[in-house]
Amino acid sequence: MRGLSFRTIILTAIGASLALTGCSQNDNKETVSAEAKAQAIQLNYWTPFSGGDNLFMTEMVDQFNQEHDDIQVVQMNSRLDDYYSRLRTAILSGNAPDVAIIHASSLPQFVQNDYVEDLSEPAEEVGLDWNVYNKSVMKAALFQGKPYAVPLDTHVLVMYYNKTFLEQAGVLDDQGKPAIEGGETGFTKFLTTIKQAVPSDIAPLAQPSTRIDSVWLWWSLYNQIQGGGKFYNEDSTKAVFNNPAALKALSYVEGLYKSKLIPPNIPDAFKLFNEGKAAVLISGVWATGALEKNEQLNFGVVPLPTIYEKPAAWADSHTLTIPAQHEMTPEKREAAMTFMKWLAEHGAKWAEAGHVPSVSAILDTDAFKALDYRSDYAEAANAVAFWPKHTKQHSLIEVIIRQFERMIYGQQTPEQALQATEAQINLELSK
Amino acid sequence: MNLLKRPQHWFKNLALARKLILINVLLIVVPLGVIGAWSFSIFASKMEEQVGKYQLQMLKQVTLNIDTYMNELNRLSLMPYQYQEILDFLGTSRDPGEALTLQEIDDLNNFVSKVFLNGRVDIMGISLFGEHGASYVVLPESQYMTTYQLGGNPEWLDKAKGRFGQPTFITTHDVKSTSGTVYKVFSIARELRSFDSGDTLGYIVIDIDPAAVRKLLSQVSLGSKESLYMTDSVGDLVLRKEKTAIYPVIEGLTQEGVSHHKVDGKSLLVAHVNSEVTGWTTVGVVPISELMKDSVVVRNSILLIGGICISLAVLLSVVIAFRITSPLRMLRTLMRKVERGDLKVSFPVKQWDEVGQLGSAFNMMVSHLSELGYRLYETEIREKDAEIAALQSKINPHFLYNTLGSISMYAEVEGNQEVVKMTNNLSRLLRYSLSGRKDTVTLRDEMDHVQGYMTIQKMRYEERIDFRVEVDEALYSCPVIPLMIQPIVENAINHGLDKGIGEGLIRLSCYQEQGVLTIVIEDDGIGMTSEQLSTIRYRLEKIHDLGGTTGNGLMNVHRRIRLHYGEQYGLQLESMPFQGLKVIINMPIAYSMTG
Repeated sequence: MRGLSFRTIILTAIGASLALTGCSQNDNKETVSAEAKAQAIQLNYWTPFSGGDNLFMTEMVDQFNQEHDDIQVVQMNSRLDDYYSRLRTAILSGNAPDVAIIHASSLPQFVQNDYVEDLSEPAEEVGLDWNVYNKSVMKAALFQGKPYAVPLDTHVLVMYYNKTFLEQAGVLDDQGKPAIEGGETGFTKFLTTIKQAVPSDIAPLAQPSTRIDSVWLWWSLYNQIQGGGKFYNEDSTKAVFNNPAALKALSYVEGLYKSKLIPPNIPDAFKLFNEGKAAVLISGVWATGALEKNEQLNFGVVPLPTIYEKPAAWADSHTLTIPAQHEMTPEKREAAMTFMKWLAEHGAKWAEAGHVPSVSAILDTDAFKALDYRSDYAEAANAVAFWPKHTKQHSLIEVIIRQFERMIYGQQTPEQALQATEAQINLELSK
Repeated sequence: MNLLKRPQHWFKNLALARKLILINVLLIVVPLGVIGAWSFSIFASKMEEQVGKYQLQMLKQVTLNIDTYMNELNRLSLMPYQYQEILDFLGTSRDPGEALTLQEIDDLNNFVSKVFLNGRVDIMGISLFGEHGASYVVLPESQYMTTYQLGGNPEWLDKAKGRFGQPTFITTHDVKSTSGTVYKVFSIARELRSFDSGDTLGYIVIDIDPAAVRKLLSQVSLGSKESLYMTDSVGDLVLRKEKTAIYPVIEGLTQEGVSHHKVDGKSLLVAHVNSEVTGWTTVGVVPISELMKDSVVVRNSILLIGGICISLAVLLSVVIAFRITSPLRMLRTLMRKVERGDLKVSFPVKQWDEVGQLGSAFNMMVSHLSELGYRLYETEIREKDAEIAALQSKINPHFLYNTLGSISMYAEVEGNQEVVKMTNNLSRLLRYSLSGRKDTVTLRDEMDHVQGYMTIQKMRYEERIDFRVEVDEALYSCPVIPLMIQPIVENAINHGLDKGIGEGLIRLSCYQEQGVLTIVIEDDGIGMTSEQLSTIRYRLEKIHDLGGTTGNGLMNVHRRIRLHYGEQYGLQLESMPFQGLKVIINMPIAYSMTG
C-alpha cells in the first residue's frame, strides 16, 4: 500500500536526522593551522652582517618573499666573528643552509672539496648572465673557469671624515673634501693638523686597537706601493710579504698608533665616529648606510687616500653560494638560484647599506645615482686589492691579526711582526 | 477551566484532516526539536570541555618547549665558571672605561665566541659585569664595550641579586646597537660568585632574540582571534605571539588550569600554565564564540537537516491526512446530494477498511432508498390509474343508479324477477366499484362483491357456471385490498369458461396458513400451455410495468399486492392445458380490530 511506504520514508528520514545529530557529537574540533605559503619552498639563508647593513638585507628578503609566492626565504644572521666557524660546522654536519653569504676572500676554502656548489648549470636554468657582474668581483667567484658564487657587491675600504672637525682644522678643500698632501708625511700632517684643532678626547683617526681593521689598512697601503701587494710565491707554497714594501706600509700604520693619531684602546671605531668622537674613520663602505641615519653627524666619504705610488684599497665581496647538501631537490636549487639572482639584480637597494653593487649596470641607474656618498667612492671599486685566492687565506689572516694586535699593543716591532707572521704562515702552509 | 476548554472545544470542532495534521506535526516537531536541542547542548558543552583540555595541553607543550630552551640558556650562563680568567677579570677593580690588555681582550673574545657558538643563534648579546667596575658588553651588531656600569641597570640587578646564584629571567626590553638600531631582547641574568671567598664577583647577562621564543609560541595555534602571551610573575608582558588579538590582562592566574572570564562582555576561555623554570605564565585566550564556530556549523547542519526532515514529514503527513480523509469528504458530498434528492449516486469502494465498509453501507442504503422511493411512486401512479379508470366508469353514477332503479321498478311492475335481480346486483356492483377511495376493505366486502358479480354472470351464462365458495367464517373480517378477487374471477370466466363449451366450475376458497391468507380461484377451463404459463409467470416475477390501463387483471392485482405487502407475496399460477387454471393469491393475514 502506498500509505505505508510514505510512513516508511518519514521514519527513515527521522532516523537519519537523529543519527546525524548523534554522529556530530563525536565530531571533534578541527585545528586549522594552515600557514600562509605552506606550499612554498623554504630557503634557509645565512648571513654574517654586523655593521648595520643587516637591516637592509632583512628588508630585501621581506620584499623578495612578498614578490614570490612560491618561495619563502628565512634569514638567519649571526656575528661575523662566529659566522664561518658556524657555517663550516653546518656544512660538515650536513645541516648547511640553502643559501649562504660567503666573502670572496673565504670562497677558496669552501670551493675546495666542493663545499659549495658549482653554479654553471643552475645559473643557466634561471637565465643568469655572468657577464653583467663587475669583472674584478667576478674573477673572485671563478674557480678553474667555473662560477661558484653570485657576487652581491664589492665592499672596499674608504675614508669617512667628520666635516665639522675637518673644517675646524681647515683641511677641507673647496669641494668640501679633505685636502691631503701626498706621501706619508702628507697624511700624517693632515691628521696632526686635525689633532691640534680638535678637543683632546676626539680621535684624529679612529681605528680599533684589535681585530682586522689594521690588517686591512696595511694591505691597502702595501698594495699602493709600486711592486707591493705580493702575498705568496708563485706556486702559493710560501708567504713572501716579509719585504721592504710591506714593512714600509706596516711601519707607517704602526707609527699612527704609536703617535696616538690613532688613540689606543678603541674597541669600536665605528661607534666612536658615529658618536662624533672621531674626525676620520677608515672603514668599509658598509658603514655609510648606518652613518647616514645619524642626523647629528655631518660627514663625508672619499676613497682611501693614495699615500704611496698608486691608488689601492682593500676590498672584498659578499657572494651568494649554495652550500653542498646531502639532498637538494632541483626545485629548491632553482629557487635558491632565483633568490640569488634577484638579490644581485636589486643591488640598488643593497647599495643603500653602502655597498657597491656587483652588477655594473646598476651604477648607471637613477636609483643608485640618487644616493648620496656612493658615487663619491664608486670609483674606488676600480682600484681594489682583494686577498689572494687561497684555501687557507681565511685562517692565515687570523694569524696576521694576532701578530698585528701584539704590535699595536707594543709587544713587538713591525719587523718582528712581519717576521713572526711570515714564519707562522709558512709553517701553516707546509702542513 | 474556560481557558482549557476553549482549545479543547476548538480542537474537537476541527476538520478531521487538520486534526490529523496537527497531531502528526506535534509528534514530529516536538521530539525532533527536543532531541536536536538536547544533543546539541551536550555536544557544545563536551566540545568546550575538550577544547579547554586541548588548549591546556598545547600550552603545557609550548611551555615545556620554552622551558627546554630556557634551560639551555641557563646552562650557557654557567659557562663563566669553566673559565677562570673570566672570573678573575670580573673580580678586578677598574675605573670606568679603563682599557683592557690584549690578553684580556683575547680571553673575553674567546669566551664570548664560545658562548655564541655553543649557544643558540638567537643570542643577541652577552654582558659581563664585575662588582668592582669591570665590564665587557657585546651588543648586537656592535663591538665590545667596557664602559658599562652596574649602576645603570638596577631593576634586573635587584632581581639577580640574592638568589644564591640562581638565574633570573628578565622580560623583553630594548637594547640599542652602536649603529642605532633598536633590538628587542629578553635576558637571563645570573649572579656569579667566588668559591673561595663566597663573595659576589659579578653578573652575566645573556640577551636573546624574543623571536626564538615567539617562534615556539607560534607553533601553537589555539584558533582564530586567539591571544597567546607570556607574563612574568608580577604580570608584566614578556612576549606575545605575533598577529594575535589583544585582550585585557587577566589577573590572578596561578599554577595551571582552564577558566572562563568575562571581559568587556566577551566570554573568554583562558588556559594558563606556569613555568617553574622561568616563573613566567603562558596564557592562551580564545573567545568562546570563536571556539564555538565549529559547533555553529554543527548546529546549522542539525537545523538544516532537521528542517528538511520536518518539512518533508509535515508534507507527507498532510498528504496522508488528506488521503485518509478524502473518501470521508467524498462520502459527505455524496450524502449532501442524497439529501437534495439525487439518489443516482454511488461511492467507489477501493479498499476494504472501515471507510470502505462505510461506503459500501452507504451504497446499500442509497440503493434501498431509491427502490423504496420508486415503489412509492409506482403505488401512487397505480392508485391514480385506478381512480381514473373508476372515474371513467362512473361518469354519472347517480344517473346510472337511478336508471338502474327505474329499470328494476319497471321489471318489478312487469313481474320480471330476473331483471330485478340483475339490475339490483349490477347496481350494487357499480356502487362497490365506484364507491370512493378505500385503502382496505374486509374479505367479506370483497366476497359480497364477488357474489354479486357472479349472480349477474350466472344469469348471463344461464346457469352454465357452477360457482362454489369455501371460506372460513373467521377470515371474513380480514382486511384485504379492494377489488382484489373479482378481477381474478372475471379472468377465470373470460379466459377459462368463455372459451370452453358447456358447464364450467369456478371454485373460490380462502384459508389461512402460518399467518398467510391464501385465496385460491380454480376453474376447469381450457387452461394454458406451458409456454403461455411461463410467459405469464415471467411477467409476474420480473416486469413491474403493467402497461397502464391495458394490463390484464392478474398483473394489476399481483403488483398491487406486492407493492402493498412485499415481494414475497402476490399471485401464483398453476395450469395444465385443458385442465383449467389455478390462481393462488398469497398475502399476510391481519385481523381487523373490529374482527
